[in-house]
Amino acid sequence: MSVYEKIGGDGAVEAAVDIFYRKVLMDDRISDFFDTVDMDRQRAKQKAFLTMAFGGPNNYTGKDMREGHKHLNLTEEHFNAVAENLIATLQELSVPQEYIDEIVGICLSVKDDVLNK
Amino acid sequence: MTVVTYEGTQFPVADGETVLDALLRAGQVVPYGCRAGVCHSCMMSADDPAPVRQAQVGLSDTQKALNYFLSCQCQPASPLEVKLVNAAGAKQVVEVLEKTALSESVYRLRLAPGLSYRPGQYVNLSRDAKLSRSYSLASLPSDPWLEFHIRHYPDGAFSSWVVNDLQAGDTLELQGPLGHCIYAAEANQPLLLLGTGTGLAPLWGIAREALAQGHSAPITLVISGRSLEDCYYRDQLLALAAAHDNVSVTWVLQDGEAADHVEVADIYQYCKERFPELNGYKIYLCGAKTFVNKLRKQCFFAGAAVRDISTDVFLQAGSL
Repeated sequence: MSVYEKIGGDGAVEAAVDIFYRKVLMDDRISDFFDTVDMDRQRAKQKAFLTMAFGGPNNYTGKDMREGHKHLNLTEEHFNAVAENLIATLQELSVPQEYIDEIVGICLSVKDDVLNK
Repeated sequence: MTVVTYEGTQFPVADGETVLDALLRAGQVVPYGCRAGVCHSCMMSADDPAPVRQAQVGLSDTQKALNYFLSCQCQPASPLEVKLVNAAGAKQVVEVLEKTALSESVYRLRLAPGLSYRPGQYVNLSRDAKLSRSYSLASLPSDPWLEFHIRHYPDGAFSSWVVNDLQAGDTLELQGPLGHCIYAAEANQPLLLLGTGTGLAPLWGIAREALAQGHSAPITLVISGRSLEDCYYRDQLLALAAAHDNVSVTWVLQDGEAADHVEVADIYQYCKERFPELNGYKIYLCGAKTFVNKLRKQCFFAGAAVRDISTDVFLQAGSL
């Protein structure tokens, strides 16, 4: 069973997405990447990211990850900032530590693609 | 097997095939992304909600109310007609019933009814093939007219044509409706309606639609303006507030004197102090781009959910 299913599927992502989005918008290290006029669209992107990070249904490939991020010139600091905000979101929702570890593991597995290494 | 109608053409949909796959197979250009029902890139709207209900998982109440669905998740059992959510549809010719000045620079245009829409949506009005502008509906479908509030920009080609040339009995072209700034809230959810200038038009429709549907929680209208003379429909708004215990209206002005229902303050500061906690609110923001974008972020930071913030941004021609 994936973490996505263990923590409650789409309902869990719905609970997390606004909290996570608010955190990244308030984080000066990365807010510029997320501060777009179309908040609905941006929220859908955040939801797609969280669904993927939780091991939920998605058809993204490593190639998609590279294509989607390569124009952003992301650094280690940006990646860590996103991960920190994600962890803080999950802690706020009282997600058990073992699941948080599993989710961080999924994020780390796409790190090289996201940073175009 | 069934068929889906898209841009006037019927396409076969095999058993177990999605609307998205059927259209892509036929060579149609439809935007899409994850194909897993998550990214919402392939969102479309349907003429009938029944066949697409299962493809609405994860959509907001507003999107559901407009029959939006995810084409990558929809395996229809019966024929349906679909379009991309930002497609305006066919043009129709409508007659002008009335033109009235509401203030020095705002005119009310009432057109013959006959459009199916939700209050708060907008349409494109055209003089001819070369001159067209978007305006929000201020009326309710039950009103015997379509109502628009048109700000006259002396250099504006369309608004000057409306003010100087257009008369009752004339016709113009209308295309729509478009947009998703509509009433879609629980009856017990507090509403906050914030507008500037002719941003009052959609709010006037949304507030009255909420009341018509029996909205019981507070409906708070805040209209921002330079001076009181700028703010039209003052009597109508005061009458609405007087007739309904749950409706309140406040004008927040840059210049002038405070009075009943009137505050003199910076609108952003006013909202911060007056509405520090917006968790659970349904919020409508209508007006100029800076106003909407600034308040949207402010309301989100004050605890409102993204999906509970509906916006209608007014762009002046040429500003895109």
